[in-house]
Amino acid sequence: MFMKSKILLTIKILIIFILISFNLKNITMASTFSEEQTINITKNLRCLICQGQTIHESNSDFAESMKKYIKGELQNGKTDEEIFSSLVEKYGQWIVYDPGISRNTLLLWALPLLLFLIGGAIIGKRIFKKI
Amino acid sequence: MIISQLGYYSLIFGLLTSIFIFLNSSIQLKKNILVISDKSIGLIGFQFFFVFISFISLIFSFIISDFSNETVYNNSHTTKPLFYKITGTWGNHEGSLLLWLLVLTGVLLGFVFKSRNEPNNYRLLTILFHQITVIGFFIFVLKTSNPFNAIFPVQMEGLGLNPILQDPALGIHPPILYLGYVGTSIIFSAALASMISNYVNKSWAKNIKFWILFSWIFLTGGILLGSIWAYYELGWGGFWFWDPVENVSLMPWLSLTALLHCIVTLEKRELFKKWTIVLCIITFALSMVGTFLVRSGILNSVHTFANDPSRGIYILTFILVLVLLSFVIFVIYENKNFTQKSEIFTLSKETAVLINNWFILYFLSVVLIGTIYPIFLDVILDEQISVGPPFYNKLILPFLIPFVLFMSIGPSMKWIKTNFKFGAKSFFVIIFTLILSFITVYYIGEKNIFILLLFIGFFYLLLKSLDQFREKTKNFAQIFSHTGFSLLLISILLNSFSSREIVKNIQVGESFTLKNEKIIFKKIAIEKEKNYESVVGFFEILDDKNTIINLQPEIRIYNEPEMATSEASIKTTLFKDRFITINIIKDQNFFNVRYQHKPFMIWIWISTLIIMLGGMFAIFRKNKEVNI
Repeated sequence: MFMKSKILLTIKILIIFILISFNLKNITMASTFSEEQTINITKNLRCLICQGQTIHESNSDFAESMKKYIKGELQNGKTDEEIFSSLVEKYGQWIVYDPGISRNTLLLWALPLLLFLIGGAIIGKRIFKKI
Repeated sequence: MIISQLGYYSLIFGLLTSIFIFLNSSIQLKKNILVISDKSIGLIGFQFFFVFISFISLIFSFIISDFSNETVYNNSHTTKPLFYKITGTWGNHEGSLLLWLLVLTGVLLGFVFKSRNEPNNYRLLTILFHQITVIGFFIFVLKTSNPFNAIFPVQMEGLGLNPILQDPALGIHPPILYLGYVGTSIIFSAALASMISNYVNKSWAKNIKFWILFSWIFLTGGILLGSIWAYYELGWGGFWFWDPVENVSLMPWLSLTALLHCIVTLEKRELFKKWTIVLCIITFALSMVGTFLVRSGILNSVHTFANDPSRGIYILTFILVLVLLSFVIFVIYENKNFTQKSEIFTLSKETAVLINNWFILYFLSVVLIGTIYPIFLDVILDEQISVGPPFYNKLILPFLIPFVLFMSIGPSMKWIKTNFKFGAKSFFVIIFTLILSFITVYYIGEKNIFILLLFIGFFYLLLKSLDQFREKTKNFAQIFSHTGFSLLLISILLNSFSSREIVKNIQVGESFTLKNEKIIFKKIAIEKEKNYESVVGFFEILDDKNTIINLQPEIRIYNEPEMATSEASIKTTLFKDRFITINIIKDQNFFNVRYQHKPFMIWIWISTLIIMLGGMFAIFRKNKEVNI
């Protein structure tokens, strides 16, 4: 029984870690407009006419105009979330590197975590079998 | 040309030899003639020799710029420097597959020599299974990717090699990576053979451990070279972007790492037999899936040489056949030849290895699902999503903390049973870890508790690993690779949190500042090389102590094919890299200048080398009875 509670504790800790990590972005992003904020946004956007490059890295015309657009939007007081969602609306989910949680991506997030739990159960059974 | 003919017929002979070896070893096994004569070793040598001749012919065709050969025509040019003519041989689909075949036949030859003291039925079976892969790849090369196709009329000039591939690190990246990648094939063949010949035991583990380490070291080196190349060539100062093509090399690396820990457990304790075999199969399957993803053109990247569905379908079918074959063999022999013995005590090295595998396989599943999920979503629902760094960071980073904690205490566990003592020494390590972490977090000005936890975990691993240097029976393989791994994590974290950058559009003569450094754009010059012209920008960096650092980024305009690339100029010091790139802005006198501080960059490379060094210790350690 002692071991069972240990497993439960591990799982609880894991859940806390996951929650923390999901909130990471919200914590680290300040609301004042800065160069860094533009970089943070453009680093998470795909340059649609390049091969596997972010808008931040690319110097293509498309990327340059996007950078200008994003700077403008930030100056207008738009938040990161608003900018991302307006871009997704216009260009589709393909443009953002963060797949986000939606109906289509639920399995993407859940499958690895599920496998982790299954793996843990198998190993736990093996280790604590005798007790 | 005669050279191409030679290469082509050499391949055909290679295929015929493989079929002969396959038949010969099946007959031997059937008739129970369990000897491997010099003649059969000679045949395997010939098989390798034929592929080698073929490979040399292709290199030679590249050197003399034989444009009657389609591969050479598509990927070379007379004005290219000799070095890039040679590396161009594997800088394309056909040539790289020939290299794949060369390594594939080479490792078998190596295996036959290295396994002289093993039972012959196990060796024969390994040869047999390996031939299935070899024949599959021979047919693949000859049918869909023949590097010796002729074109008529003979062209006077070739189309040239993609400029971003014209780079020294990338010249040697594919051969090193392939040694690791394809090295896993012999592990696969040997695993199947050991299952059937009832040889999954300590001696098998000892024998196959060499090949696991071999693949692991080269794969690590290959990934390292690729990262270094990406860092300075792609011009944005990053070294890893969770790009599908990077992931594809990381997946076999992860499963090899898990396998490495398992095989030691099998060697010492005869445990986890089934699981080890499964990992051997998974590892090779992942290498094959990687080849499929990269070669089929499903992925969009610099590695995609060709977009040919028939190649993709061939590899996919081939993977399915191999996986199915191994699955059938596994099911048949699973209970027949495996006697799972002895229990595992909770506090033991065995448990530590299990936990290691648990986490590594989780990381593997994150990378695998992140890489292939978008493909499935696209095919099934016709919806395109991008799975990039945010996904991997969120699913991997939180799990790294418990992982490194287990990794810190795992090595001090004993086989069978451990009695834990919590002495003054452990207490000091913890205190010292906390102090180091708090100082670091304070220094980089990060207030996030999660970052602090990551640093605590990483520093604890570092100190615990270093602490083992004081032990009586030192295991240098483990100490070095674990120390290297902790240094790698620390450097990556520091690098990502205290990188600074500034992007400015300026003219010659202007300047700007980053922190307390002044960046002055002195002048530009045009230089002409054999295969490109370059615009060189001369920059002076003045730091707070008024020392001058000169940086000269370039824009290269290659002639064949015509393409502009931006070459970064980097000044590396022990604590930070200064990284500058320039770009031309169309129709204006301004240059787009990107200046970056990349802290601890060199430590990322050094720590990876330390990890590899650990692997080398394990190879060269002569059967001394030491723990992992």
